Amino acid sequence: MEISGYGSVLSYTTLMAAPEGFKPPLHIAVVELPGGARIFCHGKETRALRIGRRVAIEQVDGVFYFASLGIADRVSMFWKRRGAAPERTREAVKSAVKRFFSVYNNGGAAPPPENGATSNGEEKNERPVEKR
Amino acid sequence: MRDVWISAAAMTRFGRRSETLVDLMAEAALEALREADCQPDTLVVTAMAPEEFVGEGNFASHVGTYLGLSHVPAIRVETATSSGAAALYAGFVLIASGLHQRVLVVGGEKMTHVSTPRVSEIISRVIDPHERSYGATMPALAAIVARAALAKGLIAETDMAHVAVKNHANGARNPYAHFQWPVTLEQVMSSRVIADPLRLQHCCPISDGAAAVLLTSDPTGLKLAGMGQGTDYLAVRYRNSLTGFRATQNAAKAAFAMAGFGPERVQVAEIHDAFAPFEILSLEDIGLFPQGKATKAVQNGELTLEGRLPVNPSGGLKARGHALAATGLAQVVELAWQLTGRAVGRQVNARVGLAHSIGGMATNNWVTLVEQVA
Repeated sequence: MEISGYGSVLSYTTLMAAPEGFKPPLHIAVVELPGGARIFCHGKETRALRIGRRVAIEQVDGVFYFASLGIADRVSMFWKRRGAAPERTREAVKSAVKRFFSVYNNGGAAPPPENGATSNGEEKNERPVEKR
Repeated sequence: MRDVWISAAAMTRFGRRSETLVDLMAEAALEALREADCQPDTLVVTAMAPEEFVGEGNFASHVGTYLGLSHVPAIRVETATSSGAAALYAGFVLIASGLHQRVLVVGGEKMTHVSTPRVSEIISRVIDPHERSYGATMPALAAIVARAALAKGLIAETDMAHVAVKNHANGARNPYAHFQWPVTLEQVMSSRVIADPLRLQHCCPISDGAAAVLLTSDPTGLKLAGMGQGTDYLAVRYRNSLTGFRATQNAAKAAFAMAGFGPERVQVAEIHDAFAPFEILSLEDIGLFPQGKATKAVQNGELTLEGRLPVNPSGGLKARGHALAATGLAQVVELAWQLTGRAVGRQVNARVGLAHSIGGMATNNWVTLVEQVA
């Protein structure tokens, strides 16, 4: 099933007391997808979240992740949504999410070049690793 | 359907107890039987997770034998954290149906001897497995509800803290409460964050304890006027609203319909404040306040012992404590004591009381109405 690249935040929390198997702080958001389905997501932080705000969504190894959209992305999505090219919008969001996750995985190292290609030429498809 | 009356109500002090679970339940049950001076013809037992917490099962028979009641019918009832209320309902039905005359309902839980992470893990099993796989705990889900309610303006952060302060002030006057000391607003608002925006002092404790109620078909003056149950999806993400509990709304409607009167008659209430914001939101779900108005009542002091509608005179789950399956019964014990003038140190003036119990993250809720008709 294809999950579109974005949703809107219904609510969120950051757990300082995380259950076994999870490391605090644990960030959880409840996100509503276009079409009405609601999902639980993990993310890097909830600081930038507001209820009703649009976030990028990606599914990796069956787990959903949210990522805050930068203001440029949100503006670009708004204009693209006005009936131009939904394809381009989806690609822009996916690219933003990939950029975010590769930065997260590389611990702040330089993001890969545009168009989704990684520096070693292969598609990165691993689950983001929790920082120890 | 015939009327059901309360002939006795007893509870142990909640808190860290050294006694075994069956001992605690016997303490409450035998006290109730002494008060009513009779033998029950049926036993309803409740404990939420005795197999996990104390490694003992077949609990209806276990408690029955322990009480010297191994010859009467006995069942165990469970609806997560509202089990006490569900057990009371089972007793109610057994008498209202005409099948039995005197039912002893006893509930208990023992948890303080187990490490907090393990207690949290056991309690988390009431949560939808998919949401649990994302690390959701009860505080996490409550925080998600609280965050949505704050954003909608249904509660304010200081209101949540005021609930905790009020309930501790009440608990300080209740010899059966887990915590018998007050807390200040500053202490609540500076306690450590559990799941943002909920802090330690917004969350109820882990308690040991037991409570017992004896129901009878003979009029005693204290009537179980109405009971209602409401249910909802296990998964929080399936709900229509994150800030209102349909389970509470339906339970309240059913209870008032059975009792034949509305929320305006309620003069004292025990509300399930496992997390401080739930007290405020539940008052609206029950219909005691219109949508968006309960927060004003908190600010005006209407809910204190001296206020228009005292809420949680016992100290609530926050200060009286939360011994899981015992809690729903302890709320009714408090109402029974309040309505018969036996609430030492915290007496309010009331003839009609309401108890509200939440099971899980509001999947299986109960509202109970008790009326002093004599």
